Formats: sequence, structure tokens, C-alpha cells
Amino acid sequence: MKKSTKIIIAAVAVVAIIAIFCGVYFANRPQAQAGTKAYTVEVKDQDGNVKSYSGKTDAEFLRGLMDELAAAGDFSYTGSDGDYGLYIESVNGITADYNTDGAYWSIYVNGEYGMYGADQQPVADGDTFTFAYEVYVAE
Amino acid sequence: MKKSVYEIASLGMMLAIIEVAKRSLEFIPNVEIVTLLFILFALHFGKKVILVALAFTGVESMVWGINTWNVMYLYIWPLLILIVDLTRKHASYWFYCFLSAFYGLFFGALCSIPYFFIGGLVTQFTWWVAGIPYDVLHGISNFILCLVLFKPLDFALTKVRQSAQNL
Repeated sequence: MKKSTKIIIAAVAVVAIIAIFCGVYFANRPQAQAGTKAYTVEVKDQDGNVKSYSGKTDAEFLRGLMDELAAAGDFSYTGSDGDYGLYIESVNGITADYNTDGAYWSIYVNGEYGMYGADQQPVADGDTFTFAYEVYVAE
Repeated sequence: MKKSVYEIASLGMMLAIIEVAKRSLEFIPNVEIVTLLFILFALHFGKKVILVALAFTGVESMVWGINTWNVMYLYIWPLLILIVDLTRKHASYWFYCFLSAFYGLFFGALCSIPYFFIGGLVTQFTWWVAGIPYDVLHGISNFILCLVLFKPLDFALTKVRQSAQNL
């Protein structure tokens, strides 16, 4: 087989794999759910104290729900928008600074460690979201 | 110079180069030159570069802490080095360009393996799907970086090896 033919076959294979991956992604990516949904939001601070919020929301993604709660006044957050989406820096005035002591805010969805950031995490009816203050401790 | 001293020094230099190269591109998500460097190092120095990969995982663990990605690094980079070492007789410049591209595209799939043992197939699949846009970016950028940098870096490493033979 000619060298140029091999290169063309490899290039076509790369493009085909990208196309397949995009298809898989768009078929399985987090889907927003329209309409009113019941939610529970929990904030677990560094001492393990949990503050809960429950209600109904039309927000399709977690960040929208966070903005709704913040607008209501009893919840607050700060963060920075990076290439991977929102990086949560503080919740309810409690700042997690990884560079200082390895602390960070984790998102749990229905008790499971979240796979997505707040921008991409869809809100489904009955979901419980937990913002947990966690600290990386070196072994 | 004794061969063992030369080898220890060269492995240390490779580790330093890879660590600096990784840090220098960290501001661009999923664009990295580590894959290309491991390919080139494996091509020129063989399987012993696996030691560099393990040391690299150790250094990264000290910087970023222990998490699931440490497990991924323990097999992802040695696997790449083994592929390069096993295919060197039949490989060409274009082979390495496409190997870089495929490695970037399948990086997430390879990294998702520990999640199968943590949460089963659904967790593994969900984790992989979430990262597909970054895998595509990773594959394309790996291809371009190899296309542009493979030949000059290969030339430089050849010169280094030739000068080392005179030690």
C-alpha cells in the first residue's frame, strides 16, 4: 500500500472517530428539563453543618438555580468562569482556597459525586444538590 | 562517564523537561506536549522511559494531590511508551502524528477505566461522555503539535544521543 494511501486512511479514521464521538456526546449529554421542578439544595460547611433549601424552580441548569437562590437572599456564592465552566470559590460566605489549604467546593447530585460543573449540571424534578466543603489532605 | 550515571542523569533531565513542558501549557485546557515528549523519549531511549512516566506521576501527585487521575497516569503513559517501543521498526513520522491524535481522542476513554471499578459501566460511560469535547480538542491539538514539533525535536534528540556516545 502506498504511503499516501495510508495517510489518507488514517486521516479518514480520525475524522470518523471525531464524528462518532460527537454523535455519542450529543445523544448522551446532559439534557435540560423544561418546566417546574422540585429541588433540594444543601450546603455542607467545613464543620459538617448542613443548611437546606427546598422549593420549585424553572431553572434548567444548577447555576440558574443557584442564581435564583442567591436572588432570594438566603444563599450566596462566588466563583470564577474558566475554560471548564464555573469554579465555585465560596458558598454562603465560606471561601475554599485550594492554594492555601487544599480546600474546594464539591457538588454532589443525589448523593453521588457530580460529573458536571454547575453550568452543565441539569436540574431534574426531585434532585438534591449538595455543595460540600472538602479539603485535600496529603497522604 | 559510567553508563549508569549517564542514564540516571538523562532520566532526570527527561522528567524535568516533561514537567516544565506540562506546566507551560496548563493555561490551555487539554492542549499538552507530554504525549509528544513521551513518544520521542520512548523512540530514542526505549522502555526505560517508563521510569520517567512513573516519576512524573509521583511529581504530579506531590503537586496536585492523590486522586483517581493518579491511577490513570500509572497506566496511560507507560502504555504509550510500550506502544512506541513495540512499533518502532514499522513507524514513521506520520505514524506518530496519528498516534498522537488517537491518543488524545481516546485519552478520556482510557482515563474512564477506574470509574468502572468505582461506579460501574454507567458511571464510566457518563464520565467519558462528559469529557468528549475535551478529548476532541486533545486529539486535534496533539496531531498539530506532533506535525509541527516532531521533526525538530527528533533532530535535537538525535544530536544529544550522538554527543552522549562520545562521553
